[in-house]
Amino acid sequence: MSIRDNWRVLLLVVFLVASTFAIFAPGVGGGGEGGGADSFVAENDGPTNLQYGLELSGGTRIRAPVDGQTAYEVEVSEGERPGEVEQRVAGNVSGADAADVTARLSPNGTTVELTVGNVSQEEFGSGLEAAGYEYDRIEDGVTDETRETIVRILRDKISQAGLSGGQVQEVTTADGNNFVVIEMPNANQTEVESLVTERGQVEVVAVFPEEDNGSEYSRDPVLQQGDFNSIGQATDSPEQGPHVPLVLNDESADNFSSAMREHGFTREGVQSCRYENESTEDPGYCLYTVVDGETVYAAGMGADLARSFENGDFEQQPSFIMQTENMSEARELQIHLNAGSLPASLNMDDGTSYFLAPSLAEEFKLYSLITGIIAALAVTVAVFLRYGDPKVAAPMLVTALSEVVILLGFAAAIQLPLDLSHIAGFIAVIGTGVDDLVIIADEVMAEGEVHSSRVFRSRFRKAFWVIGAAAATTIIAMSPLAVLSLGDLQGFAIVTILGVLVGVLVTRPAYGDILRALLTSK
Amino acid sequence: MVAFEVPEVDYTKYTNRQLAAVPLAVLALALLILAGWYVTTGAPVALGTEFTGGTELRVQTATPSDELSDQFDAEVVSISPVQTADDTYIVTFGPDAENVGDQARNNLQPVEGQSEDDMVKSVQGTSASFGQNTQRLALYGLGVAFAGMSVLVFLMFRTFVPSIAVVISAFSDIVIPLALMNVLGIDLSLGTVAALLMLIGYSVDSDILLNNHILRRSGDFYESTYRAMQTGVTMTVTSLSAMAVMALVAYVFGIDLLASIGIVLVMGLAADLMNTYMLNLSLLRWYKYEGVAQ
Repeated sequence: MSIRDNWRVLLLVVFLVASTFAIFAPGVGGGGEGGGADSFVAENDGPTNLQYGLELSGGTRIRAPVDGQTAYEVEVSEGERPGEVEQRVAGNVSGADAADVTARLSPNGTTVELTVGNVSQEEFGSGLEAAGYEYDRIEDGVTDETRETIVRILRDKISQAGLSGGQVQEVTTADGNNFVVIEMPNANQTEVESLVTERGQVEVVAVFPEEDNGSEYSRDPVLQQGDFNSIGQATDSPEQGPHVPLVLNDESADNFSSAMREHGFTREGVQSCRYENESTEDPGYCLYTVVDGETVYAAGMGADLARSFENGDFEQQPSFIMQTENMSEARELQIHLNAGSLPASLNMDDGTSYFLAPSLAEEFKLYSLITGIIAALAVTVAVFLRYGDPKVAAPMLVTALSEVVILLGFAAAIQLPLDLSHIAGFIAVIGTGVDDLVIIADEVMAEGEVHSSRVFRSRFRKAFWVIGAAAATTIIAMSPLAVLSLGDLQGFAIVTILGVLVGVLVTRPAYGDILRALLTSK
Repeated sequence: MVAFEVPEVDYTKYTNRQLAAVPLAVLALALLILAGWYVTTGAPVALGTEFTGGTELRVQTATPSDELSDQFDAEVVSISPVQTADDTYIVTFGPDAENVGDQARNNLQPVEGQSEDDMVKSVQGTSASFGQNTQRLALYGLGVAFAGMSVLVFLMFRTFVPSIAVVISAFSDIVIPLALMNVLGIDLSLGTVAALLMLIGYSVDSDILLNNHILRRSGDFYESTYRAMQTGVTMTVTSLSAMAVMALVAYVFGIDLLASIGIVLVMGLAADLMNTYMLNLSLLRWYKYEGVAQ
C-alpha cells in the first residue's frame, strides 16, 4: 500500500479535511469579518460557517426593473450643458420636471433618460423632437450609470434603515433585461417595497397667497436635498411632534431666509397655516414637506423662527426641523434625506417579490436537513439490499456523503447563501453519485474475482468511460440554467454541476481505490 | 435478508415491434394529453404563478377557509389548506393583486396566542410580464439543454440508431412526467423544470450504460444486456427510492419545492426504466441484428 497507489484516497481525505475546516472553523470564509462595505451576507448565528439564503432564513426579496426609458445618440449642439438639455426636454414632456430627466453628454453618444412613469415611448420621442433634439432610438430601461447609482443609493438606504444583512445587486438576464435584486433578511415586504418604489425626493415648498391677488397661490420650492449641512436623528418631542432636525448650509440658509421675508412669511404669514388636506382651498402661509410630489406635512411659521429671519439670527444658526405625522414617516424622511433620492424608482409591475416568515424558514431549514438525511438512508437501504456486502456498500455511502460534505465546504468557503434549491441539488448529487459508484462496483466485480491491480485498473477504466460520458451530459444539460438567472433553477444547476465535477475528479476515483484495496487484499 | 435481485428478462420471447409498442404507445398517449391540454387551456401544461404571474400567500389564521376570499380586494384564484400545518392555507391570486400581505395582516383573525405579524408565512408575487419572461427563459433553457445533450450523445456514439435511441428515450422521459403532472394536478414551476432537467442527466446515464455494454463490449447480445440491466436497474431503483422518500418526507413537512422535484423525478425515473429496457433495447437489437447487416 504505497502512497503512489492511493493518492486518490489521500486527495479525497485532503478535500474532506479542508471542507470540514471551512464549514466549522470559526472565522473561515469571512464569517468572522463581516460588516465591511462590500459584504452583504446574511448574519451568521449557527455553529457552522454556512450562509443561508432567504428560503432558509426568512426575509424579503424583490426583483424588478428600473422604471424609465432612454433615448440613445441624442444630437446636442456644442456647448450645451446637461442641465439645459434636461430643462428643455422636461418642458416638452407632460408630467415631467427637470429632476425626472437625466442627460449624459459624451463623445460616444449622448443619452437622455426619462424616469417618470406612465409616459409612452412615442410621447417621450415627440417631447425630444419638440425640444429640438434628434435621436437614434428609445429603449425601455436606464443606462448602466444610472443603474449603478440606484444600486449604491439603495444599499445606503437599506443600511440607513437599520436592516442588517441587506443585499442589493444588479442582474442581467440572458435576453438582455436588467433587474435590480434586493434581498433583506428579517424585513417584511411592505417596508422594502416602499423603500425601493419611492424615489425619496424630499423638498420643502413654501405656499403662500400672491400679494396683488389674494385668491391665487404661489408655490416656491425653498429647500431641497443637498441644502443641508447635517441631518439629525428622527425624534418625537412633546412640543414639536415627530420630526427630523436639520442644519442648513450657509448658502441655502441665506436663500431660505430671504425667500421667507420676501413671501411675507415673517409678517402676515406668522402662524397662519390652515392646511388640513390636499383639497384645502385657502391654506394661508404654509411650509409643505413634500416627498415624491406628495405633501406629507404642512407647518405654519412659528413666531420665534419668523423673528430670527427678520433679525438675521437664522443665518447665524440655521437649524430647521421637518415635521411629520408619525414616527415611521419621520424615520423614512431621515433615510431619504441621508441617502439621497433615487434617480428612478423600481417598477414593481414588471417584477417579482418574495417574502418568507423567519419562523417558517426555520422549519424549512430543519425539515430539509431531515429530508436529506432520510433520502440518504433510502439510498443506503437500496444499496445494501442489492449487494448484501458491506465491503462494497459501506464505502459507497461514505463516498457519496463525502461529496455532499465537500460541496458544503465549498459553499461555506465562497459564502454561497444556501436555499431550498441547493438542498434539492445536494440530494440530486447523492443520487447521481451513487449511480456512478454502482457502475464502478458492478464493472469491477463483473468477471469473477479481482486478483491483481492490473485487472482492476483495466476494468476501472472501462467503468470510467460510462461515468465520464454521463457526467458530461449532465453538465451540458445543466449549464444553460447555471448562467440564465432563473432564480430557483440557478442554484440547483450550479450545485449539480459542481457535484458532478467533484464526483468525477475526486470522490469516484477514490472509491475505486478503496474498493480495490478491499477486494485485492486477500 | 431480503436481497433485491435484478430479474433476468427473456427478451427472445418478444419481437422488436412488441417491445417498442408499449413505450411508444405510452409516449403517444402522453403527447395526446399535452396536445389536448394545449387545445383546451392554451398551454401544454398547467403553469404555476411563477410563469403566469400572480401572488401566492401562505397564511395561518383562525378565519375559516370559506370566508377567506372575502377578506381580500383582489380576486382569489384558489385556496388550498396545507395538510401538515394547522389552520394554514395557500391562497393564490391573479397577477393584479396588490398588498395582499397587508390585507391579510389587517383583515384576518390570528390563531390564539399568535401575533398579527406572524400570520403571514410567505408571500410570493410575480408580475405577468415577468412571468412571461421567465416562461420564455425556462423554455429556452430546456431546449438548449436537450439540444446540447443530443449533440453530445451523437458525438459519443457516432452512429445514428444508438444515438437516436438515447435521444428518443430522454425525450419520452421528459414528456411522460409532464403529461402525468397535468393528470395529477401539479403545476409547472421552476422547481419542476429543474427536476425535468435533472431527468435528462439521470435518463441518459442508464441509456449510455446499455449502449456501451452492447456496442463496445465483446460477448453475446443478451449477456451484455443482462449485465447492463443489473447495473442500470440498480442505479435507477436507488435513485428512485431516494426521490420517492424525498417526495414523501417533503410533502409531509410541507416543503413544496422539494416535494414537487421528488414527484417529477419518481415519475421520470419510472418512465426511464420502461423506455431504456423496452424502447432503447429494441432499437439496439434491431440495429445489431438487422440495421448493421443491411
